[in-house]
Amino acid sequence: MEYVAQQVMNALSFGAEYALLALGLAIVFSIMGLVNFAHGEIIAVGGYTMVAMVALALNNPLIVIAAAVLAATLASVSLERVAFRPVRYADPTTGLLTAFGVSIVLQNLFLLLVSPRPIAVTSLFFLEWPIDLGSIRISSLQLFEALTTVVVIVLMMLFLKRTALGLAMRAAALDFEMVRLTGIRANRVFAAAFMISGLLAGIACIFIMARRGSVDPHLGFDPVLKAFVACVVGGFGSLPGAVLGGFLLGAIEVAILVTLPQSLGGMTDAFVFGIVALLLIWRPEGILASRGEKGDKQ
Amino acid sequence: MTLSRSQKRGLVGAGLLALILIAIGIAVSYFGSRYQLRIVYGAYVNLMVVLALQVFMGNARITNLSHSAFMGIGAYAAAICVTPVSMKAISLPSAPWGLNAFELDPVTSALIALILTGFIALLVGLFIVRLSGIGATIVSLAVLVIVHSLFLYRTDIFKGNQAFFGIPQLFTLTSAVILAVLMVFVVRGFRESRWGIALRASADDEVGASSMGVDFHRLRLIAWVLSGVLLAVAGVAYAYFLGTISARPFYFNHVFLTLAMLILGGMRTVTGAVLGTFLISFGLEWVRWLETGPELLGIDLPEVLGLSGVALGAVIVLTMALRPGGIMGDREIEELILRK
Repeated sequence: MEYVAQQVMNALSFGAEYALLALGLAIVFSIMGLVNFAHGEIIAVGGYTMVAMVALALNNPLIVIAAAVLAATLASVSLERVAFRPVRYADPTTGLLTAFGVSIVLQNLFLLLVSPRPIAVTSLFFLEWPIDLGSIRISSLQLFEALTTVVVIVLMMLFLKRTALGLAMRAAALDFEMVRLTGIRANRVFAAAFMISGLLAGIACIFIMARRGSVDPHLGFDPVLKAFVACVVGGFGSLPGAVLGGFLLGAIEVAILVTLPQSLGGMTDAFVFGIVALLLIWRPEGILASRGEKGDKQ
Repeated sequence: MTLSRSQKRGLVGAGLLALILIAIGIAVSYFGSRYQLRIVYGAYVNLMVVLALQVFMGNARITNLSHSAFMGIGAYAAAICVTPVSMKAISLPSAPWGLNAFELDPVTSALIALILTGFIALLVGLFIVRLSGIGATIVSLAVLVIVHSLFLYRTDIFKGNQAFFGIPQLFTLTSAVILAVLMVFVVRGFRESRWGIALRASADDEVGASSMGVDFHRLRLIAWVLSGVLLAVAGVAYAYFLGTISARPFYFNHVFLTLAMLILGGMRTVTGAVLGTFLISFGLEWVRWLETGPELLGIDLPEVLGLSGVALGAVIVLTMALRPGGIMGDREIEELILRK
């Protein structure tokens, strides 16, 4: 019983992390068709901000967390202004390659300006302690992660359904020209999308850092690759699809970790991606992809 | 078989590129130092990779990030076949399935590497071509990660990040130049073939091309497998020259190096692939020299590791922002010289 509960919590916390990141990727993609490869570097920006805060002797956990989330959000918005504005209306391949280039530049800047080696950040370890629920013992960090993700998803739904900007963003995903004709500024919609994306990455960054306890230039590569795969599985650009894909991927990963013998430990990701490939045979466009015919105005 | 007008022009273009490649090769083998020879050999191997990449990316216009993995599969397959048994007793003492108990001649080994890589490319391709462009890119990245983790995990076969040594050093710069020239003809030939034209049409307008009877899934698969086989050629050339290989050169850094080459030159044309490869290969040598912190105009510059990475990323970003088609855009070399 306890074992099962722990594995379910594992699956939920993995899934929550992927869902947060996948949601951030999907919201940007749905509006401007950009596959944001630089998302992982936004996470790393959060991580390095924590290092900076600790170095400045601002070791209060709340300050560290707030600064990291803020830095990730600002980094995301400024990337949109500096790098992605010239390719805003370009075709997806151009955007994808631009983001890929931005990701490489940032990764190497971390290498060049900070350090190629991991730097330890211990100020978030307080988030982790065992919680006893009856006879079951689970980790507080995983509980926080799952709960935070649920809250974030609910808040985001409220934002998208109840506010004018949210409505504009949903409309922009369908027909951006029409949204502009109604007098809403394109810049605001793009900025909002990147702000939300950065905010989600910042929140994910906290949990990633609390678990790993160190930051290096490649901090974001692994989780963001998983988030991309989650997006593909769910249907690229679909927000519910991103969340579903994230949790599904978390569940698959934990199932593989549980069933695979210890000696095959290094191959977990290979097996996870293998299963995902099988899912994609069944549904090449992703589980929750829109049913529009190719050539329709999306 | 009669050639169409564009195919004749393609032959002229490929011939011009071949002349340039041969000229550079001759110049370097007569005047270059050993170190320069090695650098130029590396450039020719990368040129083969970029040409192979162009077959799929340039015609189907889908970004592929797994090419270095296929190059690695080719290199390792050839290396395992060709390395002498006495050598493998030292380097792969615990290899399974009798992999360390046989040796083949270089030509058979290379053929086996090509066929094996082609077969794996076919299996992966069956998934890739069904996905939409962006899904295909992400899955290709996942393929890169899977193959790399296999190289690292099966240390008894691939030695992981340690060197797989003892491969006979069979190739010289001349062999690389010959292979690259042949590959230019193959790649340009594919571009101007029926398949290449239909594939490019479907990349411009998927629905339109389908309505003209173009089965773009099949064409993408053909381009993908051809690309995989050509990548194996590059991998074999890499292994046969260096004599040692390891998993690291077939991972992320090599992916974005070769991608930057193709993008800078212009992925739609073969000329772009050649131009981008040489510009970046030589530009990078200069950046690497800066990286070591030399003395310039009396100023002692600091050592800056990671500068080459920043430069490559910046090349990609700037090309995309200023000239998304790359330097060559849609023009091949003969179009700069011949009249329309």
